[in-house]
Amino acid sequence: MAKSLSARNIVKRYGGVVALSDGNLDVNAHEVVALVGANGSGKSTMSKVINGVVVLDGGQLLLDGTPVHFPSPQAAKNAGIATVFQELSLIPQMTVAENIWLTREPLNRLGQVDRKTVNARTGELLALFEGTYKTDLHPEAPIASLPPDERQIIEILKAISFDPWLIILDEATASLDSRQVQRLFELIAKWKEQGKAIVFVSHRMEEIFRIADKYSVLRNGRTVGAGNIKDIDEKQLVKLMIEKESVLGFLRGEAKSDEKVEKEISLEAENLTTESLKGVSFKAHKGELLGIGGLRGQGQRHLLHSLFGDLPYSGTVKLFNKEVHFKHPREAMKNGFALVPGDRAREGLLYIRSILDNLVLPSWRRYGLPLKVSNARKDATQTGSSLNLKMAGLEEPVSSLSGGNAQKVVIGKWLMREPQVLLLDDPTKGVDVGTKAEFYALLTRLSNEEGKTVLFYSSDDEELIGLCDRVLVMHDGKIRTELAGNTLTKENLIAASLGASNGGAQ
Amino acid sequence: MNQSRWDALAARQPALFALVLLVLSLVINVILQPNMFARETLNSNMRVFLPIILMAVGQAVVILGGGIDISVGGIVSIVNTVLATRVGLDGSPEKMWGFVFLSLLIGLLAGAINGFFIAFLRLQPIITTYATSFLYAGLGLFILPNPGGGIPGSIAALYRNSTPFSLPLAFYVIAIILLIWLYISSTRYGKFLYAVGGKAEAAYETAVPVNMVRFSTYVISGLMAALSGIAITMLSGSGNADIGGPMTLNSITAVVIGGNALSGGVGGVVGPVMGAITVGIIQNIISFADIDTWWETFVKATIIVVALATPGIVNLFRRRRI
Repeated sequence: MAKSLSARNIVKRYGGVVALSDGNLDVNAHEVVALVGANGSGKSTMSKVINGVVVLDGGQLLLDGTPVHFPSPQAAKNAGIATVFQELSLIPQMTVAENIWLTREPLNRLGQVDRKTVNARTGELLALFEGTYKTDLHPEAPIASLPPDERQIIEILKAISFDPWLIILDEATASLDSRQVQRLFELIAKWKEQGKAIVFVSHRMEEIFRIADKYSVLRNGRTVGAGNIKDIDEKQLVKLMIEKESVLGFLRGEAKSDEKVEKEISLEAENLTTESLKGVSFKAHKGELLGIGGLRGQGQRHLLHSLFGDLPYSGTVKLFNKEVHFKHPREAMKNGFALVPGDRAREGLLYIRSILDNLVLPSWRRYGLPLKVSNARKDATQTGSSLNLKMAGLEEPVSSLSGGNAQKVVIGKWLMREPQVLLLDDPTKGVDVGTKAEFYALLTRLSNEEGKTVLFYSSDDEELIGLCDRVLVMHDGKIRTELAGNTLTKENLIAASLGASNGGAQ
Repeated sequence: MNQSRWDALAARQPALFALVLLVLSLVINVILQPNMFARETLNSNMRVFLPIILMAVGQAVVILGGGIDISVGGIVSIVNTVLATRVGLDGSPEKMWGFVFLSLLIGLLAGAINGFFIAFLRLQPIITTYATSFLYAGLGLFILPNPGGGIPGSIAALYRNSTPFSLPLAFYVIAIILLIWLYISSTRYGKFLYAVGGKAEAAYETAVPVNMVRFSTYVISGLMAALSGIAITMLSGSGNADIGGPMTLNSITAVVIGGNALSGGVGGVVGPVMGAITVGIIQNIISFADIDTWWETFVKATIIVVALATPGIVNLFRRRRI
């Protein structure tokens, strides 16, 4: 088993774009290294260099001090390096067991895959996360039938199934709920003890400080700092990541308006029921930033999609005291609703089209037929600059933007319609801290100053607490509890998310 | 949930639809042709079905791997014209078997050309094989511009009339193919095939040799098309450069009926074999029911469209529920 891996002065270009200009990373057995950096700073590229998915253009990899070259994922694997990918590497049509053992299937004398052994070994791996599954997870379940968190777990199990000495976890916790994260961290501690090394890539500060021994910070493709996690605090780490200070201590406090003036109720839902929602009722006020929290997959997405007319539901929804029942997103849009979807790549953007096309898409009617491109361009430029969108030009394709900036385009295209009710489905997932801070400011501005009603579902508890006036915690298709003011604390939020009976005050 | 049970069933039993359709078409055929299961009739049917079955098996492998092969008809034409012109009606059996071997090499080479363009040059399968289909069919026309030539009658009779243990020769061929498939699908290569067809990028990141797997599917398809060409030449006993063309659509129909997803990664070979037999039976039914033959293409195309649309329609209802 290897003892250490070092990456020295790594350079990687994709066409004209330099993803890494001077990437460095040292990782030794028995330690967890947090690889941090804003989106587009080169973290994913760094992990891909180490695991052989991309071939580096310069620099050197040293395994136990000797130079190595990984021309393919297989080569890295042979050197005992496993990766848990951010974009899942599972094949949806195949079963859990087939996916975990792909390319390493135990064979019998005739060269056939030994299904019994495969299933037995898969069972052992599945037992590692026993008790955190929401479905009846078994080795022959097709991946396509699993929810995202369980797919992520299978991805983790796949990576550790060949007993690697180095495990790269690339945003592996992003779609896990807190129980599953807890279990993963317990496992990481165990692996560490066994002499494994872990590279932990994450945006979640809290997790980094909980699990990492060392840190390594990337900024614009360059490693700008590394050391022991003990010697640094959250603020300093963030500072390294973004150059300019003052981000995470965002708008806490000033965003919350404690002495609340009774504002007009803008959106009201009563007994909203769908296949997975079991009677959801709530009221939202004009100018309110209403948080929706809870574990993943407790019906938050369904709630937002139902309100947007994307899913059929029963129950009543009132908009400014007038009953509405949208059967199609078009109707919802006409009534001033906007939904910023969770999966921006699939639901939010046309990646190969230009930024301008994307921004104008929901409101193109306004620009007439034939399209008055100059007007559209003017409005798009304005929206872009109000969002601080970093781009080479409106004609550039969205695919040229980093994750955070792409998400700004998703929000921007809806803001151009000047919506009254904004439904946000985990908009900061996989977005770097700098952009997150801008989002927070934007959301606060939209609700406080522009009087919009914002329904904000987030899987990041800190975000909800720091930003929202009130948070509805969902559990199993119902609103478990409502937290506001003094009761809006992390402890209460987590307790309520887990469905604990004493979770949160009323 | 209901949906995942449906998915699980569809994933595990993709051939179910094929079986239902096969039984249904068999019943209709038996009504129209009561002596269908008599030895002679069965044999004369199966020897007609066999070429399309062989071709469908190759097509199924390509489609499983996420591609499609439109050039199979062209390969059949080359093989047919080569055999009919080089062996001749008065050729010796030894000469015939020599050229049968050569035909297999031709199939492998033609498949390798497709595979090279698609796997290594990363060209679109449908465009590439559409183009090479003209290349191969054109070559067939070059070899034999007008229908003619032939193979020795004794060889043709061997194919047409062999019924070992009172069962048509085709049954044995099908049994061998299915056994080989059962073996292959349980090997690592079998898993790779499903992985590449399912999600090639993920397969690559998992260190599956994606290019080689893709390449191999076209080589297999080329080989199966060559076997199909040999079979149809023995069936007809003569040469015709246009013989392969119409078979391509049949092979795709067979695979689609057989429950393989055209997007790849779902299905197998058992279903497509049943699908190919169904396609043959449908042809029978049309000729027995005294329907104009142009209905045949119409019916087959309808089947493809319906089979393609069904999952879409199912999804349309599912989507309403996320």
